[in-house]
Amino acid sequence: MTGFSRSALLAGAAVLALALGGCSRSGQTSAALKAPSLADTAVAAVPENTFPDQVYWGDTHLHTMNSTDAILFGSRLTPEDALRFARGEKVRSSTGIDAQLERPLDFLVVSDHSEGIGTGRELFNGNPAFMADPTLKRWHDLMLGSAGDQETAARELIGAFTHQKLPAPLLNLGNVIRIGSSTWEQQLATVERYNTPGKFTAFIGYEYTSTPKGNNLHRIVIFRDGADKVGRIQPFSSISSPNPEKLWAFLSNYEQTTGGKVLAIPHNGDLSNGLMFALTDFEGAPLTSDYARRRARWEPLTEVTQIKGDSESHPYLSPDDEFADFGKAGFDQGNLDLSTRKTKDMLAGDYAREALKRGLMLQQKLGTNPFKFGMIGATDNHTALSSAGEKGYMGDDAGVEPGAARASHRQPNAESGLERMGWQFLSGGYTAVWATANTRGAIWDGMMRKEVYGTTGTRLKLRLFGGWDFAPRDLKGNFVEAGYSRGVPMGGDLPAARHKGPPTLMVNVLKDPLGANLDRIQIVKGWVDKEGQTHEHVYNVAWSDPDKRKLDGKGKLPPVGDTVDLAHATYANSIGAAQLSTVWKDPDFDPSVRAFYYVRALEIPTPRWPVYDAVRYGAKLPADARLKDQQRGYSSPIWYDPKA
Amino acid sequence: MTERPGPDLTRLRERAVAVLREPFLHFVVLGLLIFAFNAWRGAIGDPSDRRIVVSQAEVQRLVGQWMQTWRRPPTPGEVDALIRDHVKEEVYYREALHLGLDRNDEVVRRRMRAKMEFLAVSQLEQQTPADATLQAWLDSHAARYAQGTRYSLDQVYVAARPGDGKAAERAAATLHRLAGGADWHRAGDPLDAPAHVDAADAAALTATFGPDFAEAISSLPVGTWSGPVRSGLGLHLVRLRQVQPGHPPRLAEVRQTVENDWRAATLARRETDGYQALLNAYDVRIEQPR
Repeated sequence: MTGFSRSALLAGAAVLALALGGCSRSGQTSAALKAPSLADTAVAAVPENTFPDQVYWGDTHLHTMNSTDAILFGSRLTPEDALRFARGEKVRSSTGIDAQLERPLDFLVVSDHSEGIGTGRELFNGNPAFMADPTLKRWHDLMLGSAGDQETAARELIGAFTHQKLPAPLLNLGNVIRIGSSTWEQQLATVERYNTPGKFTAFIGYEYTSTPKGNNLHRIVIFRDGADKVGRIQPFSSISSPNPEKLWAFLSNYEQTTGGKVLAIPHNGDLSNGLMFALTDFEGAPLTSDYARRRARWEPLTEVTQIKGDSESHPYLSPDDEFADFGKAGFDQGNLDLSTRKTKDMLAGDYAREALKRGLMLQQKLGTNPFKFGMIGATDNHTALSSAGEKGYMGDDAGVEPGAARASHRQPNAESGLERMGWQFLSGGYTAVWATANTRGAIWDGMMRKEVYGTTGTRLKLRLFGGWDFAPRDLKGNFVEAGYSRGVPMGGDLPAARHKGPPTLMVNVLKDPLGANLDRIQIVKGWVDKEGQTHEHVYNVAWSDPDKRKLDGKGKLPPVGDTVDLAHATYANSIGAAQLSTVWKDPDFDPSVRAFYYVRALEIPTPRWPVYDAVRYGAKLPADARLKDQQRGYSSPIWYDPKA
Repeated sequence: MTERPGPDLTRLRERAVAVLREPFLHFVVLGLLIFAFNAWRGAIGDPSDRRIVVSQAEVQRLVGQWMQTWRRPPTPGEVDALIRDHVKEEVYYREALHLGLDRNDEVVRRRMRAKMEFLAVSQLEQQTPADATLQAWLDSHAARYAQGTRYSLDQVYVAARPGDGKAAERAAATLHRLAGGADWHRAGDPLDAPAHVDAADAAALTATFGPDFAEAISSLPVGTWSGPVRSGLGLHLVRLRQVQPGHPPRLAEVRQTVENDWRAATLARRETDGYQALLNAYDVRIEQPR
């Protein structure tokens, strides 16, 4: 039911009458299909739907040449190029490849690193303030050299940055501020020009890149506002403070002084070596109620999947979950720059599912759940090209754009001896937001409500409602109306129970019309018992070919099958289902303990991007390269609190 | 009484403004300025070269820049420091020029090249193009902005995997019932996509049903149930209700997008043209190794 949306051109027409209703036995609504029009600024007010039941696709995490590491890796594309690509235009990549999305995105956050934003560009241009320093001069020369030289410069700079050994001119506040403020000003102007309410939303944002000792504590900052408000501040960077609490203080100050609204999204817990969801704060002190309240306030979402691995769960933490190994190879061995090897005791602080469980436990102690977040996916590409998905993967940086060599590209850390391989990178994810319109306000509000989900690049359509009296017959009617009127959508809290019995979850997943069929829907439940011990269970709740595939005694399902043809990089939708849906009752419900529920939807196996490279460019793939995956979507959780 | 001189004068002024806006002219003027500067630099004894005036406006600019960073006015001591630093920079800058440090320095050369490239395009960044300019752009790229054909339709979904013969039979039977007047709301399988579609263009249909569906419906009859049409989701029986042909949009509807596109394309062209114009004034010889 893509319904209830109205194009900007239809504004003023009596479309409000399309409000929920007119549903059919077949579960289809009588509503207008989203019909985006070319009309943009001419339309003063974009009409909004009654319910946020329209899904908008976007990327919340993307770098351009304004990010110092990106330009060092060879990116020559600007925020404007990034915006043009996201809205569907053909753009020539940094290495000269013409690229275009199969389908445009609905929104984009250009999120360049605030640390020395624009300074890489100045280094490339040979700013005299930098050239007197021998290291910077060397990096400048390398940037003008071969692809290999460029990569050397990039790695040296990132190494120096993560270990606080940057050459002095890069830390000179005068330089950084002068360059930064002019870059920021230009970037805001560009983003404003491309923000087209009703058709394409361009958000103002940046990345706060705190990386103590190579451990990733990065956050994406997204503003709800335009340049009139955001232009009054300069982005906060980890050079000012690597402590994320200082970022929250800055965001709080921004809201108070401008009347604007802003949120932050952590990412890559998998590269934090236990710090992202630690039980202590940045200084090592135990978490307090105040910390919990502020974190919950400023960080309503977590980016759980992107090119540098998937941070939903880990086989060590979830030994009964046979799908937890997705996107772990290469990324669970150490921190961001692989300077420190990861040990098993760190894993619990790295992954989202464990964090959601810890959150329940902390709520028990502190009164507030600091880790009560919704889940999204993003690319984190440093190419200015938001190219999630295996078939069109443009590479995570300009040094590894499509070609025969990138799957076997090595990224070693000489000190630790650890190494990451090109094939281990994922193709990146997207964020889906349920919203009332395609505007900054409506989409940002959807993020704040956590009415969002993340995918690993596919555009499957995932709906989840929690309530106390959903029944299978609801799926035969207008289940969206039922969901909103008798329950809460993903990201919400179950209301107080009106009668005894377990909560009911109503879930519907529709395949990506350009993608693979669905294998199954799972519900991941986490809870904390009275002793403060956390638990989890993964339930298979709907799957394809239920007449042939039966749950065993342990609740496990036989695999869906495999149609991947590696020689041609193809698969067939002759297995799996186009749509799966169910109303599920928690069979193990204990009304006295806190719990959360989220959906994981799995597609049938499909070829990974290295296989496409092998077919297109004759790439020789390393023997241990992973060739297939079951791409997936993660909903934001719905929480149950006995005290609600 | 004749009004002729008036419009002529206006046109002349317009033409003058247009010429003044030409990047080529800017390059010529800039060249002359550089020439003049070089000539002037030769006269080291010129007393004006030894005078540094920090105007009130300059101080205000320094203070403004400072405030943007620190979000508060500077103290008198901080203002003094700003001015001292500004004078220091100016002194070093002039001395460096006297010493010829700008010459044969790869860094300075690169920097100046970047400045020249920036000059070629910077005015464009500020400039708000006239409606006529954008209208001309819209007219010459009409296809890009054309409002595509819009389809209004009802669809009944039949779940089907590729090559599923039974599903095809089921679809055929359903079509038969629909043709016989059966209630379409009660036919088919559930699908989380609109059954009733109003005025959707190909892009909207592609986003929901996939490109095959969007392509197939263009050849369906209007007013009757037909199909099945295969989409990225399965089979669909479709009743096309209305087809509204596309039309070129008015500038007001797409102004921002047109302006962005015009700017991006004009920027790229000016950069190339600007360089070409300068290059044309040089005789370039590339010596081949013998």
